[in-house]
Amino acid sequence: MKSPLLSVRIAPVIAWAIACVSLVGKALAGEIPAGKSGFESHIRPFFETHCVECHGPDKSKGKITLHSLDGDLAAGRELERWELILDALKHQEMPPEEQENRPSAADRNAVVKWIESSLRDYVQRAGKDMVATMTRRLTNFEYQNTIRDLLGIELELAKDLPLDPNKPYHFNNTAELMMIGPDQLVRYKEAARKAMASAIVDPGKPDVYQARADWGHDKPGKDGLSQAEIGVYQGPGVGRKTVRLKSWPKTGEFRIRVVASGNFPPGFQEVPLRLVMGTDLRHDSGAGNYHEVGTVHLTNSLDEPEEFEFRGRIENIPVQPASVHRNKRRPTSITITAQNIFDNGELNDHRKSGFDASWSVKAPRVVLQSLEFEAPVVDRWPPEHHTRILFESPLRHTDNGKYAYEVIKRFMTRAFRRPVAREEVDHYHRIYKIYDVEFDTLEQAMRETLAMVLISPQFLYHSVMDQTAVTKPYELASRLSYFLWGSMPDKELFELAASGKLNDPAVIETQTCRLLADKRAAGFVENFTVQWLSIAKMKTVNIDRDLFPRFLYTVHVGERRGQEVLFRPTIRDYMHEETVGFISEMIRNNANVMSLVDSDFAFLNEPLAVHYGVDGVHGLKLRAVPVKPEHRLGGLLTQGAVLVGNSTGSAPHPIYRAVWLREAILGDKVKPPPAEVPALSDSVGDSADDAVSIKNLLALHRNKESCYDCHVRLDPWGIPFERYSAIGKYQPQVPKDNVRVRGFNHQQDSTFADYQAYLKSIYTEEVEATSRVPLGPDVDGMIQLKKYLLKERKDEIVENVIQRLVSYSLGRELTYHDRFEVERLLKLAEKGGYRLRDMIVSVCQSPTFTSTTTKN
Amino acid sequence: MKQRSWHINRREFIRGGGAALALPFLQGMSWGKAAGEALPKRMVVSYIAYGVYEPKNKDGSHHDWSWWPCKDAGPLTFNQSAAPFAPLKDSVSYLRGLEHAGGIGMGGHSSGDVFATGANMTEFEMTNNISVDQFAAKVNGHKTRYASLVLGTEGGTGSYGSAKTLSHYGPSRPIPSMHRPQEIFNRLFKPYAGKGIEQVRADLKREASVLDLMMEDSRRLRSRLGKEYQQKVSEYLDSIRALEKRVERTSQWTHQPLPNVDTKGLNLEVSHKDPEEYTRCLYDLLYLAFQTDSTRFATLMLESEQSQGSEMWNYANYVLGYKGATHDIAHKRPKESGQWDNWRAKQHAYFLNRLRNTPEGDSNMLDQTVVVWGSAHPHASHSTKNYPIQVAGGKALSFRHGNLHSFDGEKKVPLANLFVSILNAVDAPTDKFADSTGEMTL
Repeated sequence: MKSPLLSVRIAPVIAWAIACVSLVGKALAGEIPAGKSGFESHIRPFFETHCVECHGPDKSKGKITLHSLDGDLAAGRELERWELILDALKHQEMPPEEQENRPSAADRNAVVKWIESSLRDYVQRAGKDMVATMTRRLTNFEYQNTIRDLLGIELELAKDLPLDPNKPYHFNNTAELMMIGPDQLVRYKEAARKAMASAIVDPGKPDVYQARADWGHDKPGKDGLSQAEIGVYQGPGVGRKTVRLKSWPKTGEFRIRVVASGNFPPGFQEVPLRLVMGTDLRHDSGAGNYHEVGTVHLTNSLDEPEEFEFRGRIENIPVQPASVHRNKRRPTSITITAQNIFDNGELNDHRKSGFDASWSVKAPRVVLQSLEFEAPVVDRWPPEHHTRILFESPLRHTDNGKYAYEVIKRFMTRAFRRPVAREEVDHYHRIYKIYDVEFDTLEQAMRETLAMVLISPQFLYHSVMDQTAVTKPYELASRLSYFLWGSMPDKELFELAASGKLNDPAVIETQTCRLLADKRAAGFVENFTVQWLSIAKMKTVNIDRDLFPRFLYTVHVGERRGQEVLFRPTIRDYMHEETVGFISEMIRNNANVMSLVDSDFAFLNEPLAVHYGVDGVHGLKLRAVPVKPEHRLGGLLTQGAVLVGNSTGSAPHPIYRAVWLREAILGDKVKPPPAEVPALSDSVGDSADDAVSIKNLLALHRNKESCYDCHVRLDPWGIPFERYSAIGKYQPQVPKDNVRVRGFNHQQDSTFADYQAYLKSIYTEEVEATSRVPLGPDVDGMIQLKKYLLKERKDEIVENVIQRLVSYSLGRELTYHDRFEVERLLKLAEKGGYRLRDMIVSVCQSPTFTSTTTKN
Repeated sequence: MKQRSWHINRREFIRGGGAALALPFLQGMSWGKAAGEALPKRMVVSYIAYGVYEPKNKDGSHHDWSWWPCKDAGPLTFNQSAAPFAPLKDSVSYLRGLEHAGGIGMGGHSSGDVFATGANMTEFEMTNNISVDQFAAKVNGHKTRYASLVLGTEGGTGSYGSAKTLSHYGPSRPIPSMHRPQEIFNRLFKPYAGKGIEQVRADLKREASVLDLMMEDSRRLRSRLGKEYQQKVSEYLDSIRALEKRVERTSQWTHQPLPNVDTKGLNLEVSHKDPEEYTRCLYDLLYLAFQTDSTRFATLMLESEQSQGSEMWNYANYVLGYKGATHDIAHKRPKESGQWDNWRAKQHAYFLNRLRNTPEGDSNMLDQTVVVWGSAHPHASHSTKNYPIQVAGGKALSFRHGNLHSFDGEKKVPLANLFVSILNAVDAPTDKFADSTGEMTL
């Protein structure tokens, strides 16, 4: 048996040597008879020779045992376990590399083949009936989008619903997790009422609320700026101007018109003006709650002021509650804040003690001459979202009852995403009658009635199909739209469903491409990417501001000095957009899926480009930028969202990064640390105060037997990332072992040159980033790791992407039933040159996706 | 955390002002309590994550920064870490050597799921089971406006293995926790959203008949669906039924006046970025819910075991200036660890003190309330054994305090035994909860 103290480096050599000289067990090369006889004659002896010692009656490592299997796969028993064994053998994870008595490749392949074909036989025989498709409720993301497309107004309703379950590297649309409890239903009811209160307006013209403010560019303001100018800084926060609203309608669309231009010092051509609305934003205490209205990138200069229009829904705006201050009552209010969110990646270069107002003058300014608020917008009244439901019809005046029935039916057809049965409409019509008696207007009664439609199971669940309706094509239409938009089908999809043409593979292809090209697909890409790559945690990693003083844009003055400037987009927001935008770009260009590992472009804006050391990118808008070798970029592995999210905030974390690589890219399932395993520092010594290089730490950790089994398969994947720092920058040097580094001191290290000198003083040792990847060669650093992945792990990576897409599109975890369909899709992808958009198309055409639960 | 002058001053102002400025100001007491009715009997289960610091001195003496206040079983003495509880000595007990057998196989980062349920999620209760607060709420929840109050700092239910709530109605029925102070306040004290009582009653009546119809239609729908859908629609039906019950209950409670709670001094807009203010705000809301007898059973998940992605991840930094994540402070055990435990102790002691300083009957609210505070992830090592458990209050409900009890012996005592005792103390009689083997006498 292996010695736990054998270092990883030596182990494989020995294992290899032993494998060459010993041929223990029965030779299996060639065909193994199918079924039970093959199991008895070949498989069982193979297990007994190679596996049962660790996975049998005495030991059950990883809680897997093989000795009790009866080999009768045709009976459909224990198939999950068989699939695990199959994968472990196929990917050569088992028997472990360091095991002395490993089977020959031929033997292993024969066993793999036997299990695979037995499993395939079973799956084919069991057919589709066995595929457990569970219906599931809409996720909050889907709920909000569906309401948006159903009603034609953007309301932020999901924030009032209980959060969806969320598990790293898993999609939150998994059927088993999508439950509805009473608390959930209460919130749905409230959200539905809120939505209908906005969708249907009261009869008559509404009062229009207005507010306006003007600023003079000819009048002097603070810090060398004019009264109309907004600089980058203002006190402890972002430069801003505010307008306080004292009254506004309860519901409705608002419009804000600003007249603005940019004041550009030499070398600058663009300045971003962002509007947010909500409570007072307290830069000193951090209190504040806002909704982003929009951003314009101003390029027009002072002498050409232009008018810009922003729109939004007043319902989404947080309101400042009334308060009493020094015995004076302040009524509720909403503050419109206009911000200058200019960022060229150098905001923190100016770390002088005290407030450096000069930077505001050196950087481009927004010149805001006026701001005008108006709500509701009454250009057309009643608004479109109202007439979409309460449509114009003479019926309304001649036969009120019939009109109401028709309104309900039309609404339900769209809300249920399919034709509705008569009984279904009758039901809501009965509800309508209850309301009709009690309310004065049709509008009021209809709001309540339609709100009940929005808490019906047919609305809240995916494809709850009443068998009386002809629904199969509609189910497919919904599947497509919820996959690629996270929302209900549009008119075109409904029409295709109605005409029965949707099931045609060519039509599916056209539709898939159309849906992906639509702006609604942005939601899909973000939702899918964030969950698949598990990048959300990046935003809360606590960055060590002593070690990385320039990464975050920090406050220079006041109580919050040294902390991050609030209420403005940060480099981390841009990193999030970078990764999501990168995947969007791949889909848009139908790029080779291996671009995930390495690509000839990066997706950057100016702050990101400065962070990564790429020249010539200006402005805040993200775009594809060609990468050169010296940038050391390309693919996901070097993106900030991945590297920062999987660091400790002060140092890289090779284990987090290894888990990320295996889960997100290679598609492995990495088990969490088991109970009673000592933590990293405990297995080294009492304290982690002294810096010990992580590589040495891990080596110590691995030498404990309890840690060895997992870490030997984990650590090597993380080590090659070591030259990328906790903030995702290429940093080939680190502090010396066992030395406490001094933190950054911005009085002592005040200039840029001081900062460089400081870095030099702490980062003195070359990083070691060499490890031997499991079953692979020695890999030194990122470039070699990428090369290795591209060359040797392509199938695994592509298969992983296919699995993710299929799993997300179906809203369930995949099982052994899907195995052979994934295999087929993989072959198809190979034939097509691994193009990502093509792969999405074939997923949508796949029988697993198109087979619906209802009979046509 | 840096001292912020405005901040401290405001707190001093709010808290230091004595009874007249007690936060928040309340008009009157005993809402809707019929004359002669017994005093309320309450229960709270609250949870802290990522284990506690349990260093040992080489000379065998008790470490000043151990979470445990003293080394040996017997009368309590308080080290630095547990010092905030010293003034509460006769109202707290520490229990050592307890755990849920069902949580052992789950790993430290998941065992928080079963802290209040004791379910065996790795073997036969995969979707968890009823929590101790809900068990009590089922029996006695009708006595108050709300059967229970479920709070957390991160909100929602989380997933299996990474719960963001302690409460469960039963298998596969997690109850989403509420985490936004304003929302909690509104749900507790402004349930009618400004509408007049007659209007509210009329609305409820109408709602009941509509829900009735919804129920009927969903039943019809269920009967037409394939098996695979029926289960989901049943889940929906159960929820509609629960909603109907709630409507009925709300109608009954419209005959009781709403408590008049002044928000003065209560910062409902508090940011998650201000740990002390935020945490105390949750405790304050819980206190108010009890003081107004709006509910008697509550859970409070102060931290979840998977807080990456939420501000909790940074709390150790905000509070102590610790450079890493809250999770890392548990693993790396730097010198700040003890201070982190001490900070959490301070917040909890604040709550216990508020209860104790509020008279009720012949004694005070704390004596009528059993408060469990602890974790199912005791140490740095992802351990799931020997939870840190503190029990406070409930002296009028037969609890005796002032000691550290050790259950380290050969014969394993399930933590669920404590739950059985609590349930019996709050008039939800039972001889069994989860894997209990009997009662636990303190």
